[in-house]
Amino acid sequence: MLYEFRYLAPRTKAELAKVLADHAEDGKYLAGGTDLLPNIRNGLMKPAWVIDGKKLAGAQDIAFSQADGLVIGSAATINDVLRSKDARERYPVLCACAHELASHQIRNRATVAGNVVNASPCSDMAPALLCLGASAVLSSAAGERRVPFSEFFAGVKKTVLKPGEWLERIEVPAASAGARGAYKKLKRIAGHDLGIVGVLMVKGPMGLRFGVSSAAPTPVLVPSVAESDAPEAAVAEVLAAVSPISDVRGSKEYREHMIGVYVRRLLAEVK
Amino acid sequence: MKIKLTVNGLSYERDCAEHRTLLRFLREDLGLTGTKEGCGMGECGACTVIMDGRAVNSCMVLAVEADGAVIHTIEGEANGPSLSDIQKAFEKHHAVQCGFCTPGMVMSVKELLARNSKPDAEEVKEAVEGNFCRCTGYVQIVEAVAELAGSGDKGGLEHV
Amino acid sequence: MFDDLSPAELRFVGKEAGRPDMTEKLTGEAGFVSDMILPGMLHAQVKKSPHARARIKRIDTAKAAALPGVRAIVTGEELNYHIGLYIVDKYILAKGEVRHYGEAVAAVAAETLEQARAAVEAIEVEYEPLTPVLHHMDALKPDAPLVHPELGTYSYMAAAFTPKPGTNVANHTKLRKGDVDKGFEESAYVVEREYSCPSVQHVPMETHVAVVQWGKGDKVSIWTSAQSPFTVRNLFCHAFGLSHAQVRVQIPYVGGGFGGKAGIGVEPLCAVLSRKAGGKPVKFQASREEEFSLLPCRSALTYRIKTGVAEDGRILAQHMTMYWDSGAYADYAVNVTRASGYSASGPYEIPNAWIDAYTIYTNKPYGTAYRGFGHVEFHWAIERHMELVAAAIGMDPLAFRLKNALKPGSKTLTGETILASTGDVVKCIEEAARRVKYGELTAEERAREKATGWKIGKGVAALQKAPAMPPFTATAVILKMNEDGSVLVNLALTDYGQGTYASIRQIVAERLGFPLEKVKVAFENDTDRDPYDWQTVASKGLLLSGNAAILAAEDLLKNAYAVAAEALHANPRDLGHDGERVFLRHHPDHGVKFSAMAVGYAMPNGNGIGGPLIGVGRYIAQGLSHLNKETGEGNPALDWTFGAHGMVVEVNEETGEYRVLKIASIYDVGRAINPDIVRGQAIGGMMQGLGTAICEGYIYDQQGRLLNPSFTDNKIPTAKDLPLEIECAVVETPQIDGPYGARGVGEHSMISVAAALGNAIQKATGAEITHMPMRFEDVWRAIVKKEPIDNWITKSPVGSCRSAPELRRHE
Repeated sequence: MLYEFRYLAPRTKAELAKVLADHAEDGKYLAGGTDLLPNIRNGLMKPAWVIDGKKLAGAQDIAFSQADGLVIGSAATINDVLRSKDARERYPVLCACAHELASHQIRNRATVAGNVVNASPCSDMAPALLCLGASAVLSSAAGERRVPFSEFFAGVKKTVLKPGEWLERIEVPAASAGARGAYKKLKRIAGHDLGIVGVLMVKGPMGLRFGVSSAAPTPVLVPSVAESDAPEAAVAEVLAAVSPISDVRGSKEYREHMIGVYVRRLLAEVK
Repeated sequence: MKIKLTVNGLSYERDCAEHRTLLRFLREDLGLTGTKEGCGMGECGACTVIMDGRAVNSCMVLAVEADGAVIHTIEGEANGPSLSDIQKAFEKHHAVQCGFCTPGMVMSVKELLARNSKPDAEEVKEAVEGNFCRCTGYVQIVEAVAELAGSGDKGGLEHV
Repeated sequence: MFDDLSPAELRFVGKEAGRPDMTEKLTGEAGFVSDMILPGMLHAQVKKSPHARARIKRIDTAKAAALPGVRAIVTGEELNYHIGLYIVDKYILAKGEVRHYGEAVAAVAAETLEQARAAVEAIEVEYEPLTPVLHHMDALKPDAPLVHPELGTYSYMAAAFTPKPGTNVANHTKLRKGDVDKGFEESAYVVEREYSCPSVQHVPMETHVAVVQWGKGDKVSIWTSAQSPFTVRNLFCHAFGLSHAQVRVQIPYVGGGFGGKAGIGVEPLCAVLSRKAGGKPVKFQASREEEFSLLPCRSALTYRIKTGVAEDGRILAQHMTMYWDSGAYADYAVNVTRASGYSASGPYEIPNAWIDAYTIYTNKPYGTAYRGFGHVEFHWAIERHMELVAAAIGMDPLAFRLKNALKPGSKTLTGETILASTGDVVKCIEEAARRVKYGELTAEERAREKATGWKIGKGVAALQKAPAMPPFTATAVILKMNEDGSVLVNLALTDYGQGTYASIRQIVAERLGFPLEKVKVAFENDTDRDPYDWQTVASKGLLLSGNAAILAAEDLLKNAYAVAAEALHANPRDLGHDGERVFLRHHPDHGVKFSAMAVGYAMPNGNGIGGPLIGVGRYIAQGLSHLNKETGEGNPALDWTFGAHGMVVEVNEETGEYRVLKIASIYDVGRAINPDIVRGQAIGGMMQGLGTAICEGYIYDQQGRLLNPSFTDNKIPTAKDLPLEIECAVVETPQIDGPYGARGVGEHSMISVAAALGNAIQKATGAEITHMPMRFEDVWRAIVKKEPIDNWITKSPVGSCRSAPELRRHE
């Protein structure tokens, strides 16, 4: 980086909590680095301190239990999810979204936690976490609090994280295990790209849900589409929930058109 | 900050400014200039190295994050005086033109073959999709890896 | 230099052979300028304009100069050097006025990159933003701001170019063949359409980088990632008023060029910083974002074509107007205009032609040479046009092309007569069509359509290009024999990936009769050591340098035979040789080893004869001429390489998404010296062409700021973007004056790829697209007949881009 900063790598939760509180103004949390480091390189963020949370014990872990569901540690990477038997077998939609994120090298570093805290409207992991009813466990010196992802995103690249808080783990409910679905991501090329729009459909114990990326200031959850609805009703419901814009990647008109196309395709494909 | 890491089987201990990327550290502090910078943003893959068994964009890793890590770069690929199987296959299939993307490309292929010794064409493309090549158009690279995977022949130019 | 040798008589030429530069590239040992560190070297960073057009009111460098490690700061005010290949219209740093977003206004050299960056941020620049002119068509309007109000005072190459002072026209190239008005009168049909494409970037994987040391006594050493060492030296000396003896240019390994590194780049910037820093070497490497906006791109083009066709489908007249968007500086763009002007109709015979080609200044990053030198851009138009004309007159597009294709006896736009040995475009088109089974869907394809619901369409597109170069372009090759009898080849043609050195090695080995291992082509280039070569551009390298290499080999043998004749007391006429020795053909035991003669031969008594064995070959383009500035008549073409693509695409009519199922590309290369190298160029160029067809293109806002200055939104094809099936084949109609019959093909594989795709998409869906790239949204809009979005200079990106179709049946 051509901008200079200092680096800390706390080893315990207490250490991390203190450091994050001390540097709430002039520090940034480092997870996979695939969003933070480009931001620093481009001068969009100029933290004096970079605080690496990956050295906490268990931060890399992904584990499943009936009590807690799938627990994804703060340092678990996207490829860790794709490699996890529990994720693949119990939460295939999580893997469907993970597979679409950037390139293999990025997936080896980018974390699920980092992806959602970055809170890009284009986040590929957010639709899955929203549809699966997952929650974020936020930690700080003050303790822990759980925030369902439906309440986690506050705006473009904004979350409800308070100064001094970090996303310690993600919990995907056991009740959502086995949900079926597919993720359709429109890109400009077949290679890695940010989505022009992305639509995830999930069917399972939670009913029929859609998660939409790149179509609003935040990733959008359409939580309860009636299964009996005709495709056009579902399309209308999803379109009503999003507010795509025109930008260099595509026009509002095309995005709305493709969202409709994807909803219809998903309804037809996912039985 | 003092860091200690293993690169291509050799142990290094260095004092390193905390904001420096692993890419710059390898190139400037260790003199391993084989790994290249193409974009500095994790898009092009020219800086790909293998870190603790995983192919990563070293421009997106801080050197201090690599403390204690085991790194493989292009300089460690050959077996002493002879080229490795991957290098030989690339040479045979003309999978190199300007050579700038090659070190990162070879590392991605190396990591692929370590986790999947018989990838099909789609798996190969998925593995190197994050390595831009502007010169070759990728086909000869995919053919080189296909041979390493035990499938496919050398493609050829046809004469009308 | 074509000897009619069959493949059986050739040992190396036309056979598989490895590249000589593989090992070092595969091991990381190959040294690029971006890897260079010199003792005391400083690092440079530049301050760039956020405005597309502005007056520079004030630059304050005081704070920057006080920062630690800063050794030199330079602004445009203190520099009075003009640079320009053809029109001298540029300063090293903006002076008085900035003319494009991203233009450099100041530069810093410091001990570390971090210090340089901090210093750049501390430089204060006060601008008075001015209204920029952004679209080239707007720049032609009478009330448009002038990008270069002083155009009338610039020196320029008058033999080839015609600038129009008082306007934004940097050059107007004309061609007038026959009588177009009469031709249109006799036509049964007249079709007029307009086509366009935006600027794109070369995207070499190694960005522009140079290290320059301005030593005492004005001895300048330049190391640069560039294509043309002698052009760098020449333009540098011109700009700084130095003699060639004072400047040395060295080029090690180069990480791609594609034309972007054809001329002079960041070397002058590094030079002025080095001089100001007391002669310390200064290195500047462009970031990827700077590569997109500080360094030049490829011109945008609007091309309007009006064609008159006889009842039987023969083209009788064509009126062509090209509007090239040069950006802020003329650089190569004026020559792109000229070279495209004389080739503007593609590989078809146009008996009556009228061409106006304009190079137009705008306030945007400027256009330079780019693979194809205008031909990718205008073949998009021509090959879409051929398709649309055929559709309009009710003729099959393939038949229409074949009917009008250049054949032996045809006359080109400049009046050159096509011979049988020029090349066979008809064969290329027919072969491309055959390989994709053009005109029908196979049972397999029909089944696929049924299964996917996507429509399959097939398109063909043809192409031609001759090297765009001065008619007197020359080169030289020197062969030096090593003491062990192997030879070293020195040439200033560079190999930045295209693989020409492999072919040169084969040519030398073939002509010498030596095994390949005994021929080394010295890789790095050095103006102090290598003989002159004009530039490594234009797909002329293999032809000119290959011929020079043959002549150098013959010269070396002649010198060796002279020494051997003396040593053997023989008549040189009766000598023969193999890879090791020269001997009397009738008494083969009487011979002398090459290695014994390599650096002088010692007689048994110690007397010395001969001396170091060196062969010199020089070759200059022959029989070419300037073009008449009024009519365009002349003989500009070193050779014509023809080709064609056949493409199969499947399109989703509901969404505009598409996939290339197959592409078959055919080129008449004369002789493929190294088949794998030709294939590598063919596929590499095809993918680069596909990139411009699918997703590449600069997008600006209304203030002229580049909205996609990085890979985030300036995408290039990846391994996953490959068509499902790719075929490459060559026709070999020997080039009579090409080395072993070879012609160049380095650029050609990129040309007409986009048009083939556009044609196939049209066949599949009826969508008529006249602007590229063809993003999925563009295809969708064309299918459902919505207004196309022209978001290349965008308000928010929906603008307007009307292509005004005019078809009238001539009464």
